[in-house]
Amino acid sequence: MNRMQARIIQLGGLAFSVLYAVFIIWLYATEPRSFKEVTSSAEVAAGTYQINLEKFNSGLDLFRRDQFRAARVEWQLADPIQQDARTQFYIAYSFYREGWGRVYFDQELFKQGLDAVNRSIALSSSGSPTFDDSNLQMHTPAELKAELEQGTEQSWKDINPLKVLRTRK
Amino acid sequence: MSHHPNNRALVSFVLLPFLFLTVVLLGGLRVDAVSRHFIFIAPPLVTLILGVLLVLLLVRGGLIRFQHWISSDLPPLTNAAHIWMFISLFFASAQAFNSVLPERGLFHWMFAFFFLWTLWNNQFSLFDARRLLRSLAILFGTAFILKHLLLASLYSPEGGWLKRVTASLIQGVIEGTLDVPNFAPATGYIAFFTLALYVGGLILLTFTDNDISDIDHRIATKSRQLPRTELPPIAAPLESRSK
Repeated sequence: MNRMQARIIQLGGLAFSVLYAVFIIWLYATEPRSFKEVTSSAEVAAGTYQINLEKFNSGLDLFRRDQFRAARVEWQLADPIQQDARTQFYIAYSFYREGWGRVYFDQELFKQGLDAVNRSIALSSSGSPTFDDSNLQMHTPAELKAELEQGTEQSWKDINPLKVLRTRK
Repeated sequence: MSHHPNNRALVSFVLLPFLFLTVVLLGGLRVDAVSRHFIFIAPPLVTLILGVLLVLLLVRGGLIRFQHWISSDLPPLTNAAHIWMFISLFFASAQAFNSVLPERGLFHWMFAFFFLWTLWNNQFSLFDARRLLRSLAILFGTAFILKHLLLASLYSPEGGWLKRVTASLIQGVIEGTLDVPNFAPATGYIAFFTLALYVGGLILLTFTDNDISDIDHRIATKSRQLPRTELPPIAAPLESRSK
């Protein structure tokens, strides 16, 4: 009887410690920055992660009033672990609109926008998603990425004086 | 009815792997001084090498009796559990070094060199389990004090006591050479807890890993140093007991 119990303990201990090791590897792979992020990352892993819709909509209102930095603060609170493709798309769009200028593009903001749009693409399970928003002229991360990449590239077109006539998307 | 087999199984297959895996978890955990965010630092290559040397030392010192852990006479599940514990112990050793090794800069390499030097020298010394435990406790304790008390004080943004003293002494030293990141004081507490768990786990290991008693093991160790002609009178009782 004792032998049997010892065997059960052995098996249970082995299973428990393997699960614990998997949890540790997962922690080091996802690198959560706080206990809150640990729970959010766990929700992502379980497929139950949802962004804070209230914060997201509040960010959208600010974005439509051209208050891009404030919008990004709201969206970062809505999606603290950067796991929602739509929120990351909007964050990238806010970088694009803030960095866009008739004479020149703000390279630093465009680079941050590229990072965000790349995250959005990576998170899109369905390839290239479409985000319907009448306020936007680009509806897919691929379009936005192309625009941001063109903005960061240096070429002879940059000295064309007619470029002041271009419009922001 | 004796509870010895159950208790032994609980310690060997539940408690010890849990302790060593907790060391693996906490060994690379730091807390940022400014944002108070967690930073997870995976074990650098040098800590894996130090881990290998330490595990070899644990085998040589008799803390791990490999021949009793993994054997064709044991059931496959027991062998698997022992191999798993061995892996946990290796990574716990690497992470214990990770917790006391400065993250970068000149001090990182200085600490790594001294650890390597100490462990390499110890490979050729005669150890028993208790002496080895004492030696390891002192090794980790010294490294902890150097990193989390002296270096942390030297590089704290508020300007610790040591910073004020050394500022006047080593004005010529270039800051970049001694580049040490700043962490919150919680990092020191985590490292202390990690090392306490690791050394505690090793102490527990000495009490559990015994098919033969510690006295028998010491006799066996001593017998290896004796000439062959003197072996039979000592080896005979041991053999009969193991049967």
